[in-house]
Amino acid sequence: MNTQTTIARARRDMFITMLVKLLLLGGIIFTLFIAPSVGMESNRMLLLVVIGVLWMVLSYQSIKGSRMAVVSSELIASGQYDEAEQVIDNSLRRFSLYKIAKLTSLHHLAVLRHAQKRYRDAAALCRELLDRRRSLAGELSRQSWIILANSLLELGDLKGAYEALRHLHRGRLSLSDALNLLQIETDYEAQIQAWEHLSRDLSTKAQLAELLPADSSARVQALLALGAFKTNKQPWGQFLRQRAELLTDDIKGLIRHRPILRALWGDEMSDLSEPD
Amino acid sequence: MIHAVSDTNAQDFLSVPDLLEHSQPRPMVPWLWYLLGIILLTSMVGAYWGSNNELASFVLNLLTFLVMVGSLAGLMLIYRRTARLFRREHQQVEAVGELIQLRHWSQAAGLLQQLMSSPMRAAPMRIQALIFLASVQARYHRFAQAIEIHEYLLENVQLDPMTDHGIRLARVIALLHEDRLTDADGALAELRRTDRQRESGGLALVEMYRDIKTGHPSEAIAIFQQRRSAIRQQLGHRLGDAFVLLACAHDMMQQRELAQHAYTQATLLVPAVELHRRYPETAGLAGTYTAADWPLEVSP
Repeated sequence: MNTQTTIARARRDMFITMLVKLLLLGGIIFTLFIAPSVGMESNRMLLLVVIGVLWMVLSYQSIKGSRMAVVSSELIASGQYDEAEQVIDNSLRRFSLYKIAKLTSLHHLAVLRHAQKRYRDAAALCRELLDRRRSLAGELSRQSWIILANSLLELGDLKGAYEALRHLHRGRLSLSDALNLLQIETDYEAQIQAWEHLSRDLSTKAQLAELLPADSSARVQALLALGAFKTNKQPWGQFLRQRAELLTDDIKGLIRHRPILRALWGDEMSDLSEPD
Repeated sequence: MIHAVSDTNAQDFLSVPDLLEHSQPRPMVPWLWYLLGIILLTSMVGAYWGSNNELASFVLNLLTFLVMVGSLAGLMLIYRRTARLFRREHQQVEAVGELIQLRHWSQAAGLLQQLMSSPMRAAPMRIQALIFLASVQARYHRFAQAIEIHEYLLENVQLDPMTDHGIRLARVIALLHEDRLTDADGALAELRRTDRQRESGGLALVEMYRDIKTGHPSEAIAIFQQRRSAIRQQLGHRLGDAFVLLACAHDMMQQRELAQHAYTQATLLVPAVELHRRYPETAGLAGTYTAADWPLEVSP
């Protein structure tokens, strides 16, 4: 599925959806107010019933399509990306009377691209979604900001990532969003070497990191440890580094993924503290 | 927190039979069919009376129109209200989950009591709430009640394989706490049989606990050595639980240095108080071994 083509198709479908809804509404108005004056009074009820049935059938089809798309979240979570892509593609090709159904499918595609590490595509999809955020439920909008921030960070667009992070601080976050935000912010602050920010409120950050899966928790705590060492909080640095070591066997992999962490386990450990 | 519940340990607080009964969803009223029936009836009456009398025809047409518009508006209002109530229930259940993750047990217990004291709207939300209720009961060491909920879920609900596995594991832990060792052993054998394809970290942890309870420390150590990676990957910080059980096993075998090492690692990941609360058999370790140093602000 090409991302730009998918976005263009979704835009076209949403426009058609709006036209269909206007036609149905126009049909009702015509039947109720105009039909008697053009001599169609006797067929009014029949026309209303036809429009009503059509509306119901289209609504039912739309709801069925939305339910189908929900499966994709589970498929992505279990790593079945090809199957998830197929489900999302089907759902995007289906007609839906509701704009939100298309937007939700686009969101699922953004989640999939992010999981596949196709960050450029994920960012493009999130931008498309966030341009229409007035139609987007709060939860989807927050998740789109999170994916956008993370994708931009992975693409090295620090300014864009900062903007996305700023948006996330505006509203109340669920615990799962807060955990995602912790990972992105920790990464971001380490990349821009904002050590003071990174090592602020370590107690809360360490407690939140306990709720993450092992690999993510190890990475976050290693970055926090680095921040702690850089700001002369040695006990914190040692504590968090030891926890990170317990949570992963693959320190080299961690460093490969975040080269800045080389300092935490390298020879230059003794020179970590920034000069006053 | 624990005292909060034991103080209010009135029979009806978090009473499983009551909450199971009261939280049962009520069947939904089929408003759509009622309204369709009314519209059809009005149209039929209109067609019969209106054919002879012009005034009657006008009045009935107006009435049909009003009924139709009123029905559609009413239906929309009903759906909007239902959607709002569903959303609120979903948010409340989600909030319970967050409180449990953050270990705010008394708040989670209070919210569950409130949520499940009246009929819930969605069956899946009720199932999730029941799973949370079992966790809260276990946290307060009310293991018999936790088992009751696990058995209700396993017998009455079609669960997905992962959830089913999780509930069965939680049930075995509760059985072990209740010293129902034979039942626990049977349940473990069943789990091992169904768990062949995946290497479950949770199952390894439960087996270690069973071995500590039944005085087989060397088996517990062997399980840890074989399955440490799976426990870490699947349970994250709960690896601390495995380390404390390992410390207990080494202590039982008089391997003091190894026990100290494992106890330090356990308490690096999870506060000692929390570990001893989860596994009362390990409480004695606190007097013999030194826990890891936590930086001041997060000292448990």
